[in-house]
Amino acid sequence: MKILIPLKQVPDSTVRVKVAPDGTSIVTEGISWSISPYDEYAIEMALERKDADPTTVVAVVTVGAARSRDALRQALAMGCDEASLITADTAAPLAVARALAKVVDETKPDLVLCGKQASDDDQGFVGPALAELLGWAHVATITKVVPVEGGVELWREVEGGHEVWKAPLPALATVHKSEKEPRYPSLPGIMKAKKKEIPEKALSALGIDASGPTWTILSMEPPPVRGGGKILKDGDAKQIAEQLATALRDEAKVL
Amino acid sequence: MRPFVGATERELAGAVADWASRKGVAERIPAAEKEGALPRDVIAELGHLGVLGMTIPETDGGLGASAVAFALVLEELSAAWPSLAVGVAVNSGIVAGSIVRSATDEQRKRWLPKLMDGTGLGAFALTEPTSGSDAASLRTTARPDGNGWRIDGRKQFITNARYAPFAIVLARAGEFDPKRTSAGITAFVLPLDGPGVSVGPSEQKLGLRASDTSALIMENAAVGADAVLGEVGKGFAIAMAGLDGGRIGIAAQSVGIARRALEIARAYAKERRQFGRPIADFEGLRFSIAKAESDLAAARLLALRAAWLRDRGRPFTREAAMAKLYASEMAQRATHAAVQILGGNGYMRDYAVERYARDGRATTIYEGTSEIQRIVIARSLLAA
Repeated sequence: MKILIPLKQVPDSTVRVKVAPDGTSIVTEGISWSISPYDEYAIEMALERKDADPTTVVAVVTVGAARSRDALRQALAMGCDEASLITADTAAPLAVARALAKVVDETKPDLVLCGKQASDDDQGFVGPALAELLGWAHVATITKVVPVEGGVELWREVEGGHEVWKAPLPALATVHKSEKEPRYPSLPGIMKAKKKEIPEKALSALGIDASGPTWTILSMEPPPVRGGGKILKDGDAKQIAEQLATALRDEAKVL
Repeated sequence: MRPFVGATERELAGAVADWASRKGVAERIPAAEKEGALPRDVIAELGHLGVLGMTIPETDGGLGASAVAFALVLEELSAAWPSLAVGVAVNSGIVAGSIVRSATDEQRKRWLPKLMDGTGLGAFALTEPTSGSDAASLRTTARPDGNGWRIDGRKQFITNARYAPFAIVLARAGEFDPKRTSAGITAFVLPLDGPGVSVGPSEQKLGLRASDTSALIMENAAVGADAVLGEVGKGFAIAMAGLDGGRIGIAAQSVGIARRALEIARAYAKERRQFGRPIADFEGLRFSIAKAESDLAAARLLALRAAWLRDRGRPFTREAAMAKLYASEMAQRATHAAVQILGGNGYMRDYAVERYARDGRATTIYEGTSEIQRIVIARSLLAA
């Protein structure tokens, strides 16, 4: 089975995000980047299939800036077999999905696993859009994939249990979580990844218009600074309870 | 960008730092230090991660990483957990290195996989109750018995003895010659599960408590002729070559210990308030931190320089001794400064700096004391 994982490089979760002076983007200079966590789960899920069946081929692809090569390298170091890069400094989500559809047409994977959403903009757009463009069966937010006769079982967590869907191949699923935590690149993995070629193409070379229909960010602002707490200490227990109820209703507006 | 360090080397060290920080290694430390043993599953993980085989050539199934990469990895492991770093330094440094440099093809095939697979950590047995710095005066004997050799003697302070599938044991074949003390010393690969071999009780140490240090007792222990590493009578040179490399490892370890102790101290100094402001505002403390960090940076450069020379096949004995001397002494000052910055809390087990101070204490002693390093440096400077 060949599994393709489209991944996205995002600011690392340890980065303290700052709004850039233009007010519509974040400061990217000097920050560290990682594979989006849900994409890491997708990689882990695919590599678990490869552990079980070594004939499985796991490929990763990304549409992004040149620096995204590091994320692909990281995926190779984790144990993925192939990686390719489509360069675009900016691309509308639909343009990303269209570019990925071209990659799928070319490389013919049996299964595409996407993270359910990227941890930077949290849109969750690309996975389902790609399935629509391909006309493939699509199951969202899975936690397990099991090959079965005639396709795959795709497991989803639901309130109080799980659902099991069956899809013929080829199919696309978005991943909520893998059974195990994503593995770490081993040192031999890093050395092997260094020796692998990562072919690169420009988005425009695929004949895709990067602009596409998209949203426009009007403004970005950091969450308001948290004010100091308030200590109620005048009066007896009953009076304080009354003051608390009033504060919760009128000030915090939670009652 | 760092001098002496390439991109691959940085990445390998980064992967180990990630493993150490994200895999919940820190949570394992207090119990393991109390129990006095490294958890087997952590050793297995290091095998899986590829750390244990990193100094072994690719043709032998290892990673073939540079001495610079190994120094950086030991710094990271040491920053995370000094007891673990010591075990790895011995296994992948002096033990693996001695086999790679001196073993036959058959010996390499037989012994190197055991140093990489995470089932244990190899040991190097040179020191004895009556021979420490004067290593060549060792009393362990090896007698030919027709098929191979019989080894008798007692080795002391053997790191990893409890986890080791085998030890490299230095024993004297032939009579002790007071004029040529190193004559006859031969290196043997000794499996520790064989007859006549036993491991003494774990030593109770000031620091590095999770790292096993035990005696190794050989009573008429039989090994085959194929257990000799290199040539009969040439074992002392194997030991000395191993120690040269090992000293880079101890320097790197000292750097890791000092670095983490100072990181903890800096974070504490910014949080802790006295007299209405963070203690990091007080100049006495700021100067202490500035000095310690400058010394740390110098020690790291010395260690990397020695490793870099080694990678290029250049002589590095003097540079390794300088790095080991300077870095280990630096680690004493740095960890003591860190304890001082944390004050009463620094003296308590709840904060790790007291452990770094205790663990770091061994660095001026093992793989040649500071005094021995000065002898090595002076000898090379003043040679006729």
